[in-house]
Amino acid sequence: MDIISQMQEQVNTIASIAFNTFGSLQRDAPPVRLSQNYPDPPPLPATNSPEDASNFPEQPKIMSAALVKAAKQFDALVAALPLAEGGEEAQLKRIAELQAENDAVGQELQRQLEAAEKELKQVQELFHEATDNCLNLKKPD
Amino acid sequence: MSTATYPPPPPYYRLYKDYHQDPQSAPEPPPPIEGTYVCFGGNYTTDDVLPSLEEQGVRQLYPPGPNVDFKKELRSLNRELQLHFLELADVLVERPSQYARRVEEISLIFKNLHHLLNSLRPHQARATIIHILELQIQRRRQAIEDIKSLPAASLTLVQVVPGTLPRNGAHNRNSWL
Repeated sequence: MDIISQMQEQVNTIASIAFNTFGSLQRDAPPVRLSQNYPDPPPLPATNSPEDASNFPEQPKIMSAALVKAAKQFDALVAALPLAEGGEEAQLKRIAELQAENDAVGQELQRQLEAAEKELKQVQELFHEATDNCLNLKKPD
Repeated sequence: MSTATYPPPPPYYRLYKDYHQDPQSAPEPPPPIEGTYVCFGGNYTTDDVLPSLEEQGVRQLYPPGPNVDFKKELRSLNRELQLHFLELADVLVERPSQYARRVEEISLIFKNLHHLLNSLRPHQARATIIHILELQIQRRRQAIEDIKSLPAASLTLVQVVPGTLPRNGAHNRNSWL
């Protein structure tokens, strides 16, 4: 894929990692303690708690590491951009030069081709003559 | 159950009755359309230009002007994006009800990023044209070299071949060369 499409994909990846991060952190975060007077909330059902309790402190670290990694990949892609200095005018000038050169080389090629075809015809005529002479010399059986 | 009939073909085929005998008697193909045209009720334009951010009502974060330093602006927008993520996380912890403004700023940065990448496309197209033209020139030069080397090879063949043909009449040998 060309580099600009890769960069566009990378921007979309950063966006999706970001909203997945914030969304799942907000969904899974344990409630905030408002005051010491309030009782502790009832424990969650057993099926959910082992996964959440072990994963939850790790989740922000894992997800933010993924976010930073994606951002670094984007930086690497930006560094790899082959942007030639000079802007639009320089590019258009170069295109005009190349077109003129292309036309000149094309005409030269056309000339060479015509000369070569002429030579080919001459050689073919000579060859036909030679074979005719050869065949005419063959004695009929 | 009723089925819709197919519309008849356009009646222009009658104009091409004598095309085989006289190609000039039929009308020329229509010229290419320029500007806007209507197709199946929708308006389309042939002039494809990327609308600027102001036209879409989005604030432009990088400095305007004809020559934008794409690498620098892309990198700085990336840094700003990361900072805004941290700010959003802070706001969600301290003042959760004020998330909307932060989220709006993050989406503004994303829109600017995509707009910058889209405005790189014409540059990419021109660079592709330059590359293709260079390749074409190289191929044409190679073809010229190949053609130039051929007459030398054919001359040697013409000198070698008569020796391989059977000699059935010595008096006709000189008529070849």
